[in-house]
Amino acid sequence: MRKILMLIAGLTLVFASATAQATLVHYMSQHPLPRKMGGGFCYIDVPHVHDFGPSDPRMYRQIDGQYYFVGDPSPFNYDGPRTPYYGPHPIAEANVQFGRPEYCYLQGPHYHWYQPPPQASFEMRGGAYWYTGNYEPAYYDERPRYYGVNEAYAPIVYARPVVDVTVVPPGFHGELVGGGPGWRATAVIGAPPPPMVQVGVGINMGGPPGAVIVEHDGGRHGEWRGGPPPHGGWRGGPPPGRGWRGNPPPHGGWRGEPAHASGGWRGGPAAPQQHAGGGWRGGPAPQQHAGGGWRGPAPQQHGGGHGWKR
Amino acid sequence: MEALRSTVRAFATRLALVVAIAAGGACSKGKPGAAAAPAAAHVEGTPHTDDVLDAWKSAGLKPEGFAALTPAPWVATYCEKGSVSGVDTTICEYADDGAVDRGQQQLKAEWERAGVHTGVAIRTKRTLLSAVDHQLSDPNGKTINQLIQAFRKL
Repeated sequence: MRKILMLIAGLTLVFASATAQATLVHYMSQHPLPRKMGGGFCYIDVPHVHDFGPSDPRMYRQIDGQYYFVGDPSPFNYDGPRTPYYGPHPIAEANVQFGRPEYCYLQGPHYHWYQPPPQASFEMRGGAYWYTGNYEPAYYDERPRYYGVNEAYAPIVYARPVVDVTVVPPGFHGELVGGGPGWRATAVIGAPPPPMVQVGVGINMGGPPGAVIVEHDGGRHGEWRGGPPPHGGWRGGPPPGRGWRGNPPPHGGWRGEPAHASGGWRGGPAAPQQHAGGGWRGGPAPQQHAGGGWRGPAPQQHGGGHGWKR
Repeated sequence: MEALRSTVRAFATRLALVVAIAAGGACSKGKPGAAAAPAAAHVEGTPHTDDVLDAWKSAGLKPEGFAALTPAPWVATYCEKGSVSGVDTTICEYADDGAVDRGQQQLKAEWERAGVHTGVAIRTKRTLLSAVDHQLSDPNGKTINQLIQAFRKL
């Protein structure tokens, strides 16, 4: 009986080894190497396979069974070309086709190895590219799923690009954040919203208010999503149906406080101060319109009081 | 006794001669261009293996030991295999696009069966480049990426 059992075990082993398939993991482009593989970075920028998976899936997007690294390569001994960005933006790597819009959800200043294509709505200001186009619905739909990339980077201390947030482009719809572990915003300023030129209904030539902020408690800043922030700061566009035109709305939406220790206009009706470093270049704060109602792109409320982010 | 010795010596000499002739004949059959086994031909209209090797040399890489594979694997018409800085590299030329696709599928199935640490298969026109790192010779993929960059320009 014992011999029979041993024979069966042996045959099972032989059969298993004969039919075993190697587990290959597919990558679309460059990516960090996991620590168990010695760390560092893989510079192969075409689809390829490895016999190991990604170290932190939060830094990847899976597309058709292939992993695409969506994070900042800087902390992984990456020594290739780097382009600075500020805030969320569409992933616009020339050699990579996703078949649908995909977004980088990294907050604040960060790097990628690719430059935005010339035809895309990016603006280089203050040392970084800012996305100034509109986000597709997919951006909002997938934000809860992919926002975790910021948590993945939170404990990693590395040199972020130095970005002057005083010159934020008017078309930038993302968040301005003051800092995180190992990095800090370069300026604390306020800027009034740019003047709005409205052409008919539904066309916003001015965009949402400009930068207000920032100096913050590193790390926790990005978690604020609710009521008035501890130090002010604009969190997006106006709330739905509030009819905001530059002055503080009656309830919510505009998050800036009128007074700040470091000075600067925060959304109140006072005429803004001109900053030497650029930034706001328009006239005084725009007037309230009698008709009310936001005239810009359709605002959306997201994620349990997260505010309008478009 | 002496007669027996001379007979054995003569037989041994003849035997050695026969073996030498047979061996010589066998070697001549293996030479490329011999009538018995015609050498595989390159495919027109797509980069040849020589073009690829020249491009790599121009990029500062050092291809080593490249030789034709007979028969050509993965439904290719012509293939050469060698290595570059420890990376196993195969370049294959195909007669048509369908064959390239089938070849690529077979190659990847082979990787799945056998396992590779790192594997890349990329095509330019109807020439397929396969680079496989079995021995962790290129841990950060920089050599493989150089191979690809030069290959893509062809």
